[in-house]
Amino acid sequence: MTNIPVEAIGVAREQPYPGAPDNWKRFFSFSTDHKVIGIQYLVTSFFFFLVGGIFAMILRGELITPEADLVDRTVYNVMFTMHGSVMLFLWTFPSLLGLANYLVPLMIGARDMAFPRLNAVAFWMVPVVGILMIGSFLVPGGPSQSGWWAYPPMSMQNPTGNLITGQVLWILAVAISGVSSIMGGVNFVTTIVKMRAPGMTFFKMPVFVWTVLAAQLIQLYGLPALTAGAVMLLFDIVFGTGFFDPTKGGNPVLFQHFFWFYSHPAVYVIILPIFGVFSEIFPVYARKPLFGYKIVAVSALIITVVSGIVWVHHLYVSGTPGWMRMFFMVTTMCVAVPTGIKVFAWTATIWGGKLRLDTPMLFALGGLINFVFAGITGIMLASTPIDLHVNNTYFVVGHFHYVLYGAMVFGLFAAIYHWFPKMTGRMYYEGLGKLHFWLAFIGNALNFIPMHPAGLMGMPRRVASYDPEFAFWNVLASLGAFLLGMSTLPFILNMVSSWVQGKKAPDNPWRAIGLEWLVSSPPPVENFEELPVVIAEPYGYGKNEPLTEAQRKELAEA
Amino acid sequence: MNIRTVLTLTVAAIVLAFASWWMGQQSYTWFPPQAAAEAKLFDDLFSFLVMLGTFIFLGVTGTILYSVLFFRAGRYDYSDGPPIEGNVPLEIVWTAIPLLLVFWIAGYSYQIYEQMAIRGPMELVHLHMPSMMESAYAAPADEGTEPVEEIEVHAKQWAWVFRYPEQDVTSTELHLPIDHRVRLALQSEDVIHGFFVPAFRIKQDVIPGKTIDFEFTPIRVGKYRLRDSQYSGTYFAAMQADVVVESADDYQQWLAMAASTPPQPAYNRAAAEYQASQKALVPGWKTIPPAPPPVVNYAPKHEATSPPV
Amino acid sequence: MTTESSIARGIQAEIVEAHDDAGNRMFGFIVFLLSESVIFLSFFAGYIIYKTTTPDWLPPGVTGLETHDPAINTVVLVSSSFVIYVAERYLHDRKLWGFRLFLLATMAMGSYFLYGQAIEWLGLPFGFTSGVFGGTFYLLTGFHGLHVLSGIVLQLIMLLRSFLPGNYDKGTVGVEATSLFWHFVDVIWIVLYILIYVWQ
Repeated sequence: MTNIPVEAIGVAREQPYPGAPDNWKRFFSFSTDHKVIGIQYLVTSFFFFLVGGIFAMILRGELITPEADLVDRTVYNVMFTMHGSVMLFLWTFPSLLGLANYLVPLMIGARDMAFPRLNAVAFWMVPVVGILMIGSFLVPGGPSQSGWWAYPPMSMQNPTGNLITGQVLWILAVAISGVSSIMGGVNFVTTIVKMRAPGMTFFKMPVFVWTVLAAQLIQLYGLPALTAGAVMLLFDIVFGTGFFDPTKGGNPVLFQHFFWFYSHPAVYVIILPIFGVFSEIFPVYARKPLFGYKIVAVSALIITVVSGIVWVHHLYVSGTPGWMRMFFMVTTMCVAVPTGIKVFAWTATIWGGKLRLDTPMLFALGGLINFVFAGITGIMLASTPIDLHVNNTYFVVGHFHYVLYGAMVFGLFAAIYHWFPKMTGRMYYEGLGKLHFWLAFIGNALNFIPMHPAGLMGMPRRVASYDPEFAFWNVLASLGAFLLGMSTLPFILNMVSSWVQGKKAPDNPWRAIGLEWLVSSPPPVENFEELPVVIAEPYGYGKNEPLTEAQRKELAEA
Repeated sequence: MNIRTVLTLTVAAIVLAFASWWMGQQSYTWFPPQAAAEAKLFDDLFSFLVMLGTFIFLGVTGTILYSVLFFRAGRYDYSDGPPIEGNVPLEIVWTAIPLLLVFWIAGYSYQIYEQMAIRGPMELVHLHMPSMMESAYAAPADEGTEPVEEIEVHAKQWAWVFRYPEQDVTSTELHLPIDHRVRLALQSEDVIHGFFVPAFRIKQDVIPGKTIDFEFTPIRVGKYRLRDSQYSGTYFAAMQADVVVESADDYQQWLAMAASTPPQPAYNRAAAEYQASQKALVPGWKTIPPAPPPVVNYAPKHEATSPPV
Repeated sequence: MTTESSIARGIQAEIVEAHDDAGNRMFGFIVFLLSESVIFLSFFAGYIIYKTTTPDWLPPGVTGLETHDPAINTVVLVSSSFVIYVAERYLHDRKLWGFRLFLLATMAMGSYFLYGQAIEWLGLPFGFTSGVFGGTFYLLTGFHGLHVLSGIVLQLIMLLRSFLPGNYDKGTVGVEATSLFWHFVDVIWIVLYILIYVWQ
């Protein structure tokens, strides 16, 4: 960048950019800047994270005693349905899209996404989904009570007899969320394939970009199946067709196939970008190159492929024939291989490094440990005989919360802390960050570990009341949940106060390698005054090699 | 690799192995009693997986904790670590080992599943072709020597009703003879339910519009809890019943007693709660009303009473 | 030095690519179509499963589907794929009137297809709620018909835009995408025709 006239940089700096004090209005506008959209996604989804969290607090409040005494059973059923739906469709998917939106163009050296306007449209569908979901509280009969699976024929039951029910609004919300995700998928795949900076071959891309590509490919092949199932379910409810209605000759189990064909791979849509975050963060804070970069990158795509042929493990007890149970048991377990490769690679990256335990590293390490635990219970669940007992029990609930909170939310917090200086131009407060980590780590363990023994003892999931023998574990879990709820307070305090008055961040506070760290914090609107020319692999820690052509020239001149 | 590293690794592996074995033994205490033959098979497989899982978990987290403790950068140490980018033999090893492990686990699980299947054929054809329904499960090898007790299970929102077709006896409590093959015919009248007895370690969804055969062998006298395991609506959590495993004599006596009792309405928690909720000050959202309490020969007037495990 | 010059050449090539907006759009559209095809695949899979497992597949009083008129429809729709290709060639040679004529012909053929389908629907003895057979039949043909309609609307837009002076000097990616969409709709129909009409 030495060959750029100084005044050009000055002009670039004068342009409005996200985080500039007088430009907060940009975040409430139909902006097409991927950085604005990224932050819009993150903030909006975090709001819904709090909403879903409040639902969770009500659930755990009900479950702290065995009887159904805090709320009516119907209210409890609404709460767990909306907790799951909000957390998935309005928190995990959009927050990860926000992260990817912010980072992918910067990481591949592009000025924006391939389709900026499509990007903005996709984002503005998220608030619509939120309004439909939350608005369903106002319709007579209340929101959907059929769980986020919405299995027919139960989801087709309509006690109020109205046409517009919570269930119908729920399906519409999911459909709109699906359209938004497909738009995002098309946009990301095109951006990553077609918009990389000169010199950035696939094997010079950061692993985060690889994992976003892998995750978005899953969206593209998986979501349409869910859409097909949702359309048929909607027709069954609204027009009285009989696709899933056994009294009309339909097959309710077929819906489960449509649903899980997408919704199991959806878990990888969620966890793959977090694998990317781990792969970005460990090298920075261990000052070592990512161990086995290429195989880590490729294993993300292997997961994309394998995850498409595992869905029946959710249907072991639905009445699947034996050969199907065995086939999908083997394929499901095979996911452990590419995943294991990654886990071992991260461990080897840390080994012998120069570790610095800043908040992002703490969250990444905690997330990795939680993920290993979740992976082990995942293998157990894949085994058909084990699943015959633990399926639909709290063991499963514990398992997937360990994945979703323990690994995904931890990874996302790691990413937010790590890239916060880049996004806002401010440093966060390290002390609050560490407090947040320890509250979250202990709260997570206290909340979700007790669910495993409760499930092994035979406590079904989705119950509003339970037998006294499960009380001990549920009290622990509820206390953990409240602690986990508290843990978001230091985070909110940290984010708000540092954004407003935190210390100014340098361009590269972590001495990290990557195109996003070569631009100012926050980056100018067009990201790069001159597109960088990439000449090296992304994790050259300890190698003293230039990442871009401009850096090489600088080194040569010096 | 020098002798010392090899030695340290060996010692660490032995310690880990011992800890894992101990954990595997512990796992037997995490469950309700083994009340069915299937439960024994399940517990052995689970213990094996716990052992393997503990080994992997402790191995990985141990390595991470060791790194965190001993590879910290000093406060003003801004140097980088060694630029190791990979190690092909190591990467091959840690791809091959999980692959082998996975096949081992899958093979073992298959074996256990087969043994369970011999004891309780669960070869259900869920996309059932009418012609395949009759021979949906393979005949167990020892059929003929072992008589099978056939019982119908009717699930509805939110009650379990059991019917003994030979004696034409109905009950809301499931009585089973010990050490005796049981074949249930699962049917649902409305939505999908799940037949789940934790003490038996087995579970099967009940799909409306078809009959699903389900077999197992209870091996321990006692009272156990049957729960609905597939979310079925408002009173889902209340849809429970007692399963009584008793000696053949007691079982026959019970059947005879029930057969001579005229049908009467049994206690039904969902119906009782629904009645009460109609008078509640702050009602919830509108719900599908529960089916009226089932009218059966053997009709307990209280809710399920199986003791806590 | 050689690496440097090769990088420099790479730069030239890739900068051009970075501004290749039309290329991005076409690529994105293909990605979208691939994703869209999965919806059809799901419906097809559902249809096959229903057809092979439902005991009473045909509703009472229905003996099967008439194949003669749909066959004519099929021929019309499939041949319209060649017609739109000719339109594309005309546009490629910048012969706008030929383009408009053949595009209009494509639209006419597509509309005839929709008309034929409407006639068929009106004459059928079963409805959307007549069991799984009726449901899947109307779902598949209706969802495909919606795509035919979208294709015709896209063609109409392309036709109108051809009257804007110099519209296609900037590039013809819109027409290429419309044409690709039309081929896609045709291929889907062939599979659908085989599944529903031929396999009875």
